[in-house]
Amino acid sequence: MGDDQTRNTISETDTLNLPILIIGGGISGITSAVELAEAGQEVVLIEKENYLGGNVSHFNNYFPKLCPPSCGLEINYQRIRSNPRISYYTGASLKNICGTDGDFMVNIQLKPRLINNSCTSCGKCAEVCPEERPAKLGRTAGEKAAFINNGLAFPMKYCIDPEVCKREACARCLEVCDYNAIQLDASPAEVGIQAGKIIVATGWNLYNATLIENYRYSEESDVVTNVEFERMLAACTREKIKLTRPSDGLTPRRIAFVQCAGSRDINHLPYCSAVCCSASLKHALTLEAEYPEIDAEIFYIDMRLSGRNEKLLKQAEEKERITLTKGKVGRILPGDEEKGLVLEVEDISSGCKRKDTYDMVVLAMGLTPTPVAAGLKVNEYGFYLPDQPSGMIPTASCKRPMDVSSSVKDATASALKAMQR
Amino acid sequence: MSTINPDLGFKRKLTRLSGSQLNQCMQCGNCSAVCSLAPTERPFPRKEMIWSGWGLKDKLMGNVDIWLCHQCGDCSTYCPRDVKPADVISAIRQTSYQHYARPLFLGKLVSNPVWLPLAIAIPVVVIIAILFLAGTFKIPPGPVDYSAFFPHGLLNGTFSAITLFFYLLASFGIGRFWKDMKIQTPPGEAGRKRLPVFRVLREILSHSNFSGCGSRTPGKVAHLLLFFGFTLLIMVTLYAIWATVTHHYPLPITNPFKILGNLASVMIFSGLGIMTWQRLFNKSVFGKSAYTDWLILAAIALLTLSGTLVQLARFGDWSIAYHLYFFHLVAVWFVIMYMPFTKLGHIFYRTTALLYARSIGRK
Amino acid sequence: MMEAGEIHMALAVCSGCDIGQAIDIDKLTDAASEAKEGLSCIKHNTLCSEAGLAELKRLVLEKGVDRLAVAACSPRVMSREFEMDGVQVERINLREQVAWVMEPGQEDTQMCAEDQTRMVLAKLDTIKDGTPYIPDQLSSDILVVGGGIAGLSSALGGARAGYRVHLVERSARLGGYAGRIYKMLPDSENAATLKEPDLHDTVKELEEHPGVEVYLETSIKSISGEPGNFIVSLENSRVSELQVGAVVSATGWKPYNTEKLAPLGYGSERVKTLEEFEQFVQKEQIPDRILFILCAGSRDENHLAYCSSYCCSAALKQALYVRELNPHAEVYIIYRDIRTTGFQEEFYKMVQADDAILMTKGVIESVSDQGDAVKVIVSESLLDDRVCINADLVVLATGMVPNTTSDLQLQYRLGKGLPEIEYDFSDSHFICFPYETRRTGIFAAGTVRAPMDMELSREDGAGAMMKAIQCIESVKRGEAVHPRAGDISWPELYMERCTDCKRCTEECPFGSYDETEKGTPLPNPARCRRCGICIGSCPERVIGFADFNINSVSAMIKAVHVPDEFEEKPRILVFVCENDAYPALDTAGINRLQYSPFVRIIPVRCLGSINKVWISDALSHGYDGILQIGCKPGDDYQCHFIHGSELTEQRGVNLKETLETMMLEPERIQTRFVEITEHREIQEIINEYVEEMELIGPNPFKSM
Repeated sequence: MGDDQTRNTISETDTLNLPILIIGGGISGITSAVELAEAGQEVVLIEKENYLGGNVSHFNNYFPKLCPPSCGLEINYQRIRSNPRISYYTGASLKNICGTDGDFMVNIQLKPRLINNSCTSCGKCAEVCPEERPAKLGRTAGEKAAFINNGLAFPMKYCIDPEVCKREACARCLEVCDYNAIQLDASPAEVGIQAGKIIVATGWNLYNATLIENYRYSEESDVVTNVEFERMLAACTREKIKLTRPSDGLTPRRIAFVQCAGSRDINHLPYCSAVCCSASLKHALTLEAEYPEIDAEIFYIDMRLSGRNEKLLKQAEEKERITLTKGKVGRILPGDEEKGLVLEVEDISSGCKRKDTYDMVVLAMGLTPTPVAAGLKVNEYGFYLPDQPSGMIPTASCKRPMDVSSSVKDATASALKAMQR
Repeated sequence: MSTINPDLGFKRKLTRLSGSQLNQCMQCGNCSAVCSLAPTERPFPRKEMIWSGWGLKDKLMGNVDIWLCHQCGDCSTYCPRDVKPADVISAIRQTSYQHYARPLFLGKLVSNPVWLPLAIAIPVVVIIAILFLAGTFKIPPGPVDYSAFFPHGLLNGTFSAITLFFYLLASFGIGRFWKDMKIQTPPGEAGRKRLPVFRVLREILSHSNFSGCGSRTPGKVAHLLLFFGFTLLIMVTLYAIWATVTHHYPLPITNPFKILGNLASVMIFSGLGIMTWQRLFNKSVFGKSAYTDWLILAAIALLTLSGTLVQLARFGDWSIAYHLYFFHLVAVWFVIMYMPFTKLGHIFYRTTALLYARSIGRK
Repeated sequence: MMEAGEIHMALAVCSGCDIGQAIDIDKLTDAASEAKEGLSCIKHNTLCSEAGLAELKRLVLEKGVDRLAVAACSPRVMSREFEMDGVQVERINLREQVAWVMEPGQEDTQMCAEDQTRMVLAKLDTIKDGTPYIPDQLSSDILVVGGGIAGLSSALGGARAGYRVHLVERSARLGGYAGRIYKMLPDSENAATLKEPDLHDTVKELEEHPGVEVYLETSIKSISGEPGNFIVSLENSRVSELQVGAVVSATGWKPYNTEKLAPLGYGSERVKTLEEFEQFVQKEQIPDRILFILCAGSRDENHLAYCSSYCCSAALKQALYVRELNPHAEVYIIYRDIRTTGFQEEFYKMVQADDAILMTKGVIESVSDQGDAVKVIVSESLLDDRVCINADLVVLATGMVPNTTSDLQLQYRLGKGLPEIEYDFSDSHFICFPYETRRTGIFAAGTVRAPMDMELSREDGAGAMMKAIQCIESVKRGEAVHPRAGDISWPELYMERCTDCKRCTEECPFGSYDETEKGTPLPNPARCRRCGICIGSCPERVIGFADFNINSVSAMIKAVHVPDEFEEKPRILVFVCENDAYPALDTAGINRLQYSPFVRIIPVRCLGSINKVWISDALSHGYDGILQIGCKPGDDYQCHFIHGSELTEQRGVNLKETLETMMLEPERIQTRFVEITEHREIQEIINEYVEEMELIGPNPFKSM
C-alpha cells in the first residue's frame, strides 16, 4: 500500500497467489518488482535503507550514455506509484526466513524513521534542525539530522538520522511540524510476510580501500574511491558547484584513476569486478566534458569493456586531456612538501618507470557481495550461487559483479523464474 | 626484429628453480612499479617475467638487470598473481652461474642432490692425494700441531693455486658475461664512461642498494654481517699466510688478528642464523630457497664451525683435532671451488654487472 | 440532484506546506468558482491527513463528484492518497511550482495560482472518461524466433511459467552455434574443466514440454497485427498461421566476414577462424605450434568497432583443448587486452596454469604463409618492440555480427525488422530498460541484441520472455507498457477530417500506425506507448487521447487571464515534459529555487506531443512567449519517446518561419533541454527566458 506501510500480511490464502517477495530495493529489486507487478503478480519489495534506489540513486551518470540514473529511477518510481499490485517497506531489514519454496514466511524488522507517514515533505524539520550529519564525501555539506535523500527521493518523506539526533533533548522539529509527523520515541516494528517466491537483490558493496595499504587511502584524504568520486560529481551536478579536492578545497588539475584497486589481486579480490574500467572511462569523459581545467589519466592492466562500451575507450583515446596508461600502480606516496600524491607505476607501453604527481587519486575499487542473508549458498568469494537449494532466486550484483544494464536484465530474467510455480 | 623461439625446457627449469607459477604472470607491471632499484628506463622485473614465460634464454643470460636486483622481495609481496618475480629473478641468476661458469660439470654437481657425494668427494680425494704425496697423511704424534699434518708452505701453495685456478676459469665466464651484456643492453647515446670502480666499491661497501628495499631489513643486516665477516676473514687469512712466513705461527689467542678472526666467525654465524631463519620462516618475503642455496649456506656454516672447532681443538689438544682440520680443509676447498657455480658467484657477477650498468649510466 | 450525463466538478485546496502563507486561499476558491459554475470547493490545512481525506471523500460522496481538482502538492507525491474510484482526479501543483518558488503573498504569485487552478478546471471540463483499448482477439501465446541458446532458454522459461510458446527455427536442428561447438567454458559448479556441450537436456525438456510447439526448417512469411493479437504466417510449416500475443526474436549471430581478414592471412590453408577451428579440432590432427590472434576484426574502426565480448574466453578455451588434444603443442596468444571479466578471471588463470600457453600483448603487423610455417610479425609486443613468431596454424578470433531481424518480416511501415541502434544490434538505447526495442511486444534476446557469451544469452532469453509475458498481461488489462505503464488512455482518430498526410505514420517512434495504399493511417493502439507524438504531428488535429487532446490543452491555454500590455505583466506559457523536466521543476521547488511568477505551466507527455495549434492559440490569446522544456535529444538522447525532443527542434524551425510571417520575433518560442537532475539549470532557463521576453516587449496580439 505504498507510502503507508500498513499492509497486513496475507494469511490462509491459496499459496499459488502468495505474493513474490523481493529483498533489496536498488535498481535490480525495483526492476524485478515492477516487471512482475505489470505482469499481474502481487509483489512486496523490502529495502533496508529509508529510500528506494540503492547505490545508483546516489550516482551522477551511467555509461555509456553518460545520462543520470535518476531519470530511469523516476520512471520506475512512477510505475510503483501507479501499480496497486506493489507494496513496499523501507528501513526494513530481514530477520528470518522460514518455510519452503512456494510458501515462505519472512519476518522483517522496520527501523524507526523517527518521522512517521504523516510527513508531507515540507522540510520544516530540516530547517530548524541544529544537528548536522558528519560530512562524507559526496554528501551535501551541512546535511541535517532531519533529511531527505535528495530532490528525487522515493518515498518523498523526511527521516531523521538516529545517530545524530539528540531526541527529546532538542525536539525543535517537534515544535515546528504541523502534521504530527515527528516521533522521536518511535521503536522498531516487526512485520511478517508470507511469500510464494523470494528474489534476493541485495546488491554490492565496495571493497574496503583501507586494506590496500600501499595506496594510502587511510592516510591521504585526496585518495578517494570511485564511488566517493561518483558522489562528489553527483553533488557538483546537483548543486552546480565546482569539483574540489577534499584536502584543501582547491580545484584539482590532474586526477589519476587507479584501475584494479583490489580486483584481480590474489591479496585482495582475485576476480575482476567487471564495471570499474567502464566506470573510470565514464569519469574521465565526464571530467573532459564538464571540467575543462582537469586532466585525467587512467592506469590499467587490461582495459575491459564489453560490446558497445568499447566506444568509451575510443572516445577517451581521442581526447587530449585523457591519458590511458598500461601499468598497475604500485604505490601511492605523499608528494614533496606535502603537495599532491606521487604514483609509482611502470608505463608498460613506453617501457619507462614513472613517478608523477597528481592532485587527486581515484581508486577504481572492486565490488564485493553484500553479507549473506540466511540460508543462501555462496561461492568462494561470497557471491550467491545462481541456483539455490532453497528455491530463493538471487539476482544481479549479489550474484556476480555487473553493471546497471546487466543487472536490470538479470533482474528481469529472475522475475521470470519467480513466475514459474 | 628478432625471431621468437620459445624454449620451454628453459622456462620449465626456471619454474622449477623458482617455485613460481611464472606462466600466471599477467604483465601488470606492479613488480617494476614497487621495485626501489628498478631503473627509470626499461625497468625490471616485469620484462624479465614475460621473457621467462616465453623461455627466451638469450634475452635473460646477458641480462644486467637481474644483478641490480638485491632480492628484497617487494615485487613478490605485492604481486597480484603471486608469481614471485623475486624468485624468478633469483632463478635466472642461478641459471646464469651455471651458464657462464666452467667447467660445466662442476655446476651440475652442485645443482642436484644426487651428485652431492661426488661433489664432496672431489676435494676429499684431492686433499688426500696432496697429503699422500707430501707424505704427511697420518696423524702426527705429540701436542696438536697442524703444520705437522699439512705443512704451512704446502697448504698456502696448494690452496692459493686452486683459488687462482678456479677464479681464472671464472674470469673467462665473466668475460663472456660482459660481452653478452653489451649485446643485450648496449650503451645508450651517452656511450660508456670509464669504469666507475670506486663508485661501485662504495655501493658495495655501504650496501646502499639494500636500503631502498622495504620488505626485508633483516636481510640487509645478515648480508652486512656475512660480507664484513668474510672480508675480515680474508684479511686475517692473508695476515696468517704472511705470519707463517715471518713470525711464529700459530698465533696466540691474544693476538689482535686472532681476535678479529674469531669476531669474523661470530659475525658470519649471526648472519647465517638470520638468513636461515628467514629462509625457513619468512618464505613469503624471502621466497623459495633452491637446493644450491641451502648447499652453499651449509658449506659456509660448516667451514666456519669447523674453523672454530679446529682452533679450540688446538688449545684443548683434542684427539680429533686432525680429523676436524681435515674436514675444515675440505670445506674451504669446497667453497672456493664451487663458489662461481652457486649463489656466492654473485660476488663476481653482481660486481661486474654493477660496473657495467653504472658505466652505461643505468641506475 | 444531477442529471445524467452532467458532470459535477469539485476543487479541494490544501493550505498546508506554506501554500496558505503564499496564496490567499479564499480568493483562489472565489476565482475558481467564478471560472466554473457550480463548482464545489473545500479547503483544508492538511488535505492529505486522515481528516482531510475523510472530508474530501465526504464531499465526493455527497455531491456525486466525478471530476476533482486537488490544489495541493505535486502529483508525484501523495499519488495513491488522492486516487478515488470513479473520479477523474487532476492535481494542481500549488506547492512545488507556486508556493515554494514564488514570493509569498504577492499579487503575481496569487495570479499564478489562480491561473494554474483555472487551467486544470478547464482541462477537467474538456476531458472524457477513458475506456481501455483491448484487442478483440486476444492470444497469450508467445512466438520465439531462433532455436539457439537464447531462444531455447526463452521458450523453456515461458513454458515453465505457464505460457504456450511457439519456437520457430530456420535450420533442421535446435541448438544454434552452441550446438555445434566442441567444448564449452567451465561452469561455476565445475570450474576446473571444460564442459561438454550440454544442450541435450534443454532440447529434450523443451521438446517434451506440452507448452512448446517446435517448428524446424521454418521461416516467417509475415508478422502483422499488434501485441495481444499478432498474426504470424509461416513458410514450410505444418501450420500456416499462428496467433500470438508477443514475439521474442533470438536470431543470433554470424562470424565476421572473413573476406575482410585477408590482411591477417585469411585465405591460407593454415589460417582459420575461431568457428572453423571449433570444427577443425573435431576432425583433424592439431599441429604443434598454434598462434591465436585476438580481436581479429574487432575493436577496429575499419572492421567492427565494438568488442565482440566472447572471443577472448573462446580463444582461451580453444588453447586449452589444443593442449589436451596434442600434448606437444605450443600455443601463442597475441592479445590487445585480455577481457575475461568477472569470475572469468579464474578461467584466465586456469589457462595460464598450462605452461605451454604463451601470451603477449601486441599489434599484428603481418601474417604470411611461408609454405612450411606461417610467419607472424608482431609490433609493440611485450617481448620486444617488433618480433617474428612462426606457427603451423593461425587462429583468428573473429568477431560477432548480429543476424538481421528483418527475417521477422514485420508488416510495419517502419520496416520489417527491429530498429538497430548501433553496429546493427537491435539493442535498447536505455541503460535502465535493456529490452526497449521500439516495437511494442517484440523483444530481442541474445546476440542479436548485443554481443554476449552463452551464459549471458541464456539469461537474456529469459529476460526477454518476461517482457513478452508482461506485455501480454498489460494488453489484456488495456494498459500501456513502459514507460507509461498502466496508462489506459489511447489515441483515437477522427477519420472524417484526416487528409492522409502520413505525418502520424511517419513520426510515430513505435510504428503504431500502418497505412493503406492511399496513405490513410490504420492505428494499432496496442502498439502505442501513449507519448502523443501523433497529436503533435497532425496538422488536421484529428488525434487525441480521452484525457489529453487538442481541446483539453487549448482550453488550459485559454483559461489563463492575460493582463493587457500596459500592466507590464508578461505571461509565459511553459510546456514541460512530464518525464524529466517536470520532476526537475519539482526539485527546484523542494530546494526553494525562486523563479518568475509570470510562467504558466502545462505538463505534456512528451515535447513531441505539442501541436502547432496550441502555439497559435497561445499567441493569439496574448501570451508573450512560449518555452518548451524537454529531455535531451542527440545521439545519446534522453527523450523517453526516442525522437520527441528532436521533432520539436525540427518543428521549431518551421514555427520560426510562421512567426516571422506574423511579424513576431522568432525568439518568442524557444526550446530547452534539461536532465532530470538539472533543477538549478531549469530555474536559470526560466528566469533568463522571462528576462529576454521582458526585453522584447509585449506580444502585439495582446490587445487585439
